[in-house]
Order: sequence, then C-alpha cells, then structure tokens
Amino acid sequence: MAKGNRRRRRRSEFAYVLKLLIWVAVVIFVFEGRFIYTMVTFDASEASAVSESGNEEESETEAAQTEAAHYVISDDMYLAGLGDADLIESETAEETETETETETEPETHATVSDPDSAAIVGEQAEAVDDSYFSDAVFIGDSRMEGFRNTSGITEGTFFTSVGMSLSSMTSSEIISDGEDKITVAAALSGGTYGKIYIMLGANDLGEYSWDDFKSGLISVTNRFQELQPDAILYLCSCIYVEEDKVTTGDYINNENVDTLNSILLEVCEEEGYYYLNLNEVLSDGYGSLIEGASSDGVHITAEYCKVMLNYMKTHYVSAEDIDETEE
Amino acid sequence: MRKITAIICAAALAFSLTACGSDTKNDETVTIEISELAEALLETVTSDSLSETASSLVPSIYYLDEENVASAVAYASSGATSCEIAVIESTDTDGTADVESGMQTRVDNQIELYTSYNESEAARLETAIIKSTGVYTVLCVCDDTDAAEELLESYGF
Repeated sequence: MAKGNRRRRRRSEFAYVLKLLIWVAVVIFVFEGRFIYTMVTFDASEASAVSESGNEEESETEAAQTEAAHYVISDDMYLAGLGDADLIESETAEETETETETETEPETHATVSDPDSAAIVGEQAEAVDDSYFSDAVFIGDSRMEGFRNTSGITEGTFFTSVGMSLSSMTSSEIISDGEDKITVAAALSGGTYGKIYIMLGANDLGEYSWDDFKSGLISVTNRFQELQPDAILYLCSCIYVEEDKVTTGDYINNENVDTLNSILLEVCEEEGYYYLNLNEVLSDGYGSLIEGASSDGVHITAEYCKVMLNYMKTHYVSAEDIDETEE
Repeated sequence: MRKITAIICAAALAFSLTACGSDTKNDETVTIEISELAEALLETVTSDSLSETASSLVPSIYYLDEENVASAVAYASSGATSCEIAVIESTDTDGTADVESGMQTRVDNQIELYTSYNESEAARLETAIIKSTGVYTVLCVCDDTDAAEELLESYGF
C-alpha cells in the first residue's frame, strides 16, 4: 500500500515537472518568438537601406556644393575695391543691388594700410580645391571656429578656441586633444603642416599697447615657424565688425581693427609671412563689415564664411611666388 | 492550485528572460536616419541659425577615431552662440561610449571657455543633452531642451 502511494507520488511529481517545463517552453516561444523571427528575417536589406541613405546624403552635399559655386559679383564687392575677384552668392547680390541703387558714391576706404605691399597675398589665376587645405592648420578664435563650422570646408586641422587672444595663443593650455589641454605650440608640434593660417585680433582689440601686441605677435609666429619650418604662414586680417550690433565693448570697433591690421601687415613684411586680406571681400567699402554679414556684429554668418573660403581658394601662395620672394 | 503556481512560475521565468535580452535586441535592430533626426533637432534652436559642418571634420571636433564613425551629421554656429547639434552613427554599439565621452569632453571644454567669455552661453551648455541608442549618439545644445528630449524619445533615445 505504502509502495503504491510512493509510485503514485513519484508519477505525480514527474508529471508536475514535465508540465512545468512544457509551460516554460510555451511561454518562452511566445515571448521570444519575435526575436527568433527577427533573427531569421533580418538580412542585408536593412543594411543596404542605411547605406543608400548615406549615399543620398553625399549626393545632397555635392549638390549643395555645386549650388554654392554659382556666384556673381555684387555691387558691394566693387565698393570694397575687389572687382571680379569678389564672389558672393547671387541671392545676396539681388538683395544688395536694390539697396545700393539708392546710395551715393561712397568714400574710398583702403582695407589695408599699404595696398601695394608685397606681403599681401594676391589673386591666383586658378582656384584651388579643398585638397589644398589637407596639410593646413587653422589657428584662431571663435571666428575661425565659425569658419570651420559653417564655411563648408572639408579639409584641414583646426586648433581653435573660443576667446583666443594673442596672450592665450602664446602660452595658455586651451587646445584639447580629447584627454589633456595643451598649448597651441604643443598642438602644432604634434604634426607636420604645409600651411599655417592664423586668425586672431577680435579678442585683442584694446587689450594691449600696440607695441606689445606687435612684439608678442612676432614672438609667437616665429615660434610657430620654427616648429613648422616648411609651412607657409598666413596671417588673416582681423575682419571688420558691425559696430552697431556689438554689445561686448566699445573697444571692438573698426578703427582698432584697422590699427591691428596695419600691425599684422607690418609683421608679415618684416618677418616674411603672408597677409590674407579677408576684408577685401567682407568690407562694405566704408571700413566696416558688410551689413548683414553677422548676427552679433562680430561672428560671420555661414553665407560670408563661404565667401571667405572662396577667397582663400583664389588667394594663396604658389611655389613660384615663394621662389620670387627668396630671389 | 499547483497548475496555477506552475503557470505563474513559468511566466515569471519567461518574462525575466525576455527582459534580459530586451535592450540589446532593440539596440541592435534600431535604424535611424541621422540627417532627418539632426534636421528635426534644428527646430529646437531658435536663437541662432546653425549651418551644417562638413562630416569629414566631425570626428576631430568630438575627438573620435575616424574608423569608429560610420556616418555623422552636425550643425554648428558661426560663433554667435554655443548651440550645436550632432548625430553620430558608430560602427558598432561598443563605439557609442567613446562618442558619448568625446561629446562630453567637447561640452566641458566649451563650458570652460565660455565661462570667461559669455556666461549665458556657458549656462546653455550646462543643459546639453547627450544620449545614445544602439549605434547612434546625439548631442544637442539648444534653446528648447524639453522639445529636444521629447523628439529624442520618439526616436527611441
């Protein structure tokens, strides 16, 4: 009797475990069935869809670049003394054309202290493409960072820092390599570059005595040239501001910009560097930034950053230019 | 009674198994059109007009190894504000941690620089959103963070 009860109990326990396992299998199948289905059905179609979308992006970018290449000369550019070197998008030309029709002939205002200086980079017959900047390093403040962000430039190394001044560019650890902060010179020594573009000045207007600024600039540019002896060193002009929009201090004015730029040009002439006169395409002809080229009076909009990029592509130093200088 | 107990136990077991695999499963299968998301996030920036940055420069901006970036879309400011949007697709899910780290480094650096330059922009950077799902990571420094959060949630972030 006792044996019969034990057998029955064993059978009952066995059936209980079996039922439990069956239930587990059923429930797993129900809840994981979606996963099994995904594993079976997921194939290259999704991956190819992602790839196709990437190709579409590239096509769109190319189309945008092609569109950006359609420029015409605007009247404002002529006012800046540029002639056919000046490039600006057609839409802007249409907008400004109506404005300039009502204006009287402006006073001429040179964008450089010595327009005949040999240190000023002239226009080349042929524009380079972005590959010219593949061995270039761009050093500068938030304006240079804005240029990187919005001009559409696709090549180059950028050591930029918001608020960069001559002082911080010289000695402060303001460039991040992702782990540590290092000085611009330390960052520069980490690679080999064929061109160095320096843009600063907006954070130096009114900060120094001009003599100190000049000696400091010579010191730091010479240091950079020592680190990169084969590099062409371009000093970009300090871009004009729209004074009415500037709220960060009275010292940020175009009179100071002109003074600072005359020092930049002197340094280029004395030390053998090249002066890139960006105001040639960004001046309104009255010694100020083109109206509407900045939202805050200082930082250049994407539209005019593209103008700057095109200027850089047509204003560069060729090997022949360097040979002539050395002779 | 035993049957009911067995059913409950089995269901609990199955649910726990399902829950364990849920995140990975969703992460691996999620597909996002990154340019569409970046454009949608642009709507959350009202104080500036951002422009698209060349995708070839995006890895260096966020301190990333180019080989770990499958695709990237970024919109940035001319310098007038600290607003920026970046959507980066890593080559695999392991890469998202690096992307998040790089984006955080970028934000920390910008906060430090803007603190002595423009405090209101530094404050904006403090509200930066960095989120990942699957192989995708987003950085959004914008005006309307609530709208950005809502949008990202709808994309599975």
